[in-house]
Amino acid sequence: MKINLEIIDAAFLCDAEQIDNLKTKELVPKMVFRRRLTRASKLLIELMSTVGFKEGRIIYGTGYGELLSTSNILKAISDNSGVSPTDFQNSVYNTAVSYASILSKNTSEMLTVSSGDETSLKVLKVGAIKALDLDEILLVVTETFNIDNIDEVNSCKNLLESAVALRVKVTKKEANLFYEEGNLDVNVPKSISHMFKIAKEFTPNKNIIEVNL
Amino acid sequence: MKTNKKVYINNFDSISCAGADSNELFDSICQKKDTISIDSHYVEDRSVAIGKIDSDIEFNELLLKKCENVLKASNLEDFSNTLLVIGSSVGGMSETEKIFFQDKTYQNIDYKKHPIDAIAYCLKQKFSFYDDVSFSTACTSSANALGYAKEVIQKKIYKNVLVVGVDSLSYTTVCGFSALSVLSSNPCTPFDKNREGMNVSEAIAILLLQDEKRENAIELCGVGYSSDAHHMTQPHPQGLGASNAMQNALDDAKITPTDITYINAHGTGTQANDSAELNAIFNLFKTHKPYIGSTKSITGHTLGAAGALEAIISCLVLLEQTIVPNKNLYEVEEDAANFPQETMKEKVSFVLSNSFAFGGNNTSLVFGLAK
Repeated sequence: MKINLEIIDAAFLCDAEQIDNLKTKELVPKMVFRRRLTRASKLLIELMSTVGFKEGRIIYGTGYGELLSTSNILKAISDNSGVSPTDFQNSVYNTAVSYASILSKNTSEMLTVSSGDETSLKVLKVGAIKALDLDEILLVVTETFNIDNIDEVNSCKNLLESAVALRVKVTKKEANLFYEEGNLDVNVPKSISHMFKIAKEFTPNKNIIEVNL
Repeated sequence: MKTNKKVYINNFDSISCAGADSNELFDSICQKKDTISIDSHYVEDRSVAIGKIDSDIEFNELLLKKCENVLKASNLEDFSNTLLVIGSSVGGMSETEKIFFQDKTYQNIDYKKHPIDAIAYCLKQKFSFYDDVSFSTACTSSANALGYAKEVIQKKIYKNVLVVGVDSLSYTTVCGFSALSVLSSNPCTPFDKNREGMNVSEAIAILLLQDEKRENAIELCGVGYSSDAHHMTQPHPQGLGASNAMQNALDDAKITPTDITYINAHGTGTQANDSAELNAIFNLFKTHKPYIGSTKSITGHTLGAAGALEAIISCLVLLEQTIVPNKNLYEVEEDAANFPQETMKEKVSFVLSNSFAFGGNNTSLVFGLAK
C-alpha cells in the first residue's frame, strides 16, 4: 500500500557539534522551564516554530534517545554518586515531545517512534497512516549525540546534532519528491536521513512524497 | 478515517514476576499471591520492593520463546505477513549497563543492542516480519503499540500485528524512580490511603491482533489518546488528560460509561498518580460505578510492558467473566469508589484499561467480548 503526503512546510538543523543561534530564550520565556529542557527539546521547539506548527498530533522520532541524561545516569550509578531526578525524567525517549506539548498546551496525541537506523523512515510510515484521518500532522526527528566520549561508539557520523521537521497532510496528488535509499546524505545519522533528504530538497514545487508501507 | 473493521486479540502469552505464563499470572492475581520481592541490590543503602521474573533463562531467550509460543498457537505459519510493533521504555539498557559498569567505557557497547530498537533487533535474528516499528513513550509504550495495531488493522493496511510489550529491570529505572522518591520498600498498595509508592518490575507480554476472530478472541474495541500538557512527571491533579483519554476510548468503541463493568486502573501506588486517576474516573463515571482494580500490587509496575501485560489481564477478565481483587488495599482512598476485595464471578461486557506516562502521555483501551 502507498500513501502520498503533501509537505506543507519543512525545516532542518545540523551541526558537527552543537547547533547555535537557537531562539530558545524567545520561544521559552520562563527560565525555570527553559533550564530543564534537553538539547532535543530545544531543537524540537525551534523546528515547531520554524514550520509554524502550534496545535495537533505530533509523531516524534529518535533512534537513540536522550544520550546526555542517559550517560549522566550511567555515570552516577557507576560512581555511586546518586541519580539526578531531572536526569531521570529527561531520559525517557518521549522527553522532547512532552516538553513541547507542555509548552504549547497541546493536548493532542503525541507518539514517539524509536526504530534505530530506520527511525525517520518509520516516522514517515506511522505519520502517513495517521494522516489518513485527514488532519495536519507534524513529523519530527532529532538526534543529539554530542556527549563526552561519544567517539567510543560513534566512528562514522560527522554531525553530532541534527533535527528535521515536516508538516504534512495526506494528498491524492502524484509524488514529485523522492528519497530513495541509495541517495541519502551519509554525513547525517541514518536514523534521520530519510526525512532529512526530504526537508533538504523540499520546495513549493517539490512537495509531494510517496510513502510505501 | 473510520471503518467498521473489527480488531481481535486471538492469542497471547506473558511472563512476569506474577507467573511464567498468562494462566499463572491470572491465578496469582485472583489468589492475591505474594509475588513482589525485597531487593537491596539495585539501590545503594536502601531496600526496595521489585518484581523480578523467576527464571534461569536469559531475558532475550525468554522473549524469543514467548514469541514462538504465540506463533505456534496462531493460524500463521510464520510472521512474514505480520507487522511487529514493540512497546518498550528501556530497550537494551540493562545490556548497556552490564558492559558500562564493568568496562567504564562505551567501547564494547554494540549500538544496535542499546536502544529501544534492540528488542526488534533481537526478534529479527530469529523471525522474519513484514515490517516493524517500535514505540517508546515511557509507561504507555505498549498501550500505544496496541492502539497502533488496532489502527493499522482497522484502516485495512495489515491483517496481522504482533504487539510485544517488554521491559527488563535496570539500574537506570530502579535508581531513577528512587531519585524521584516514589519507590516503596514494600509491595505496593494502590489506592490505599497509606500507600508508600510503586514497585519497578519487569515483564514480557505478547499479543497477536488480527482482522478475523478465532476461538476465545477478545475484541479491542476502542483506543483513546491524550496529553496532559501539564508537567513532565506529575499528572494533572484533576486528571483532565486521563479522563479525556478514557472518553476518547469510549467514543472510539461507540459505548458509554454505563457499559464498562471493570476498570483496570493504571494504579501505580504513588500519591499523585492514584488520586489524579480517581479524579479522572469520577469526572467520567458520575452515576455508574464500575469496579476499579489495580493489579500492580501483584505484577509491580512493568513500565513500558504494562499496557500489554494489563491488556492480557483485561482479556482474561472477559474470558473468565471474573472480577479480580485489589491486593493490599485496606483503607481506601475514596469510599465512593467500587474496589473489589475478592475474586468474583460476574457478567463482564467491557473492560477499560488505563496507561499513563511521563510527559502526561495518556492512553486508554477498551476491550469487549468478540461478537
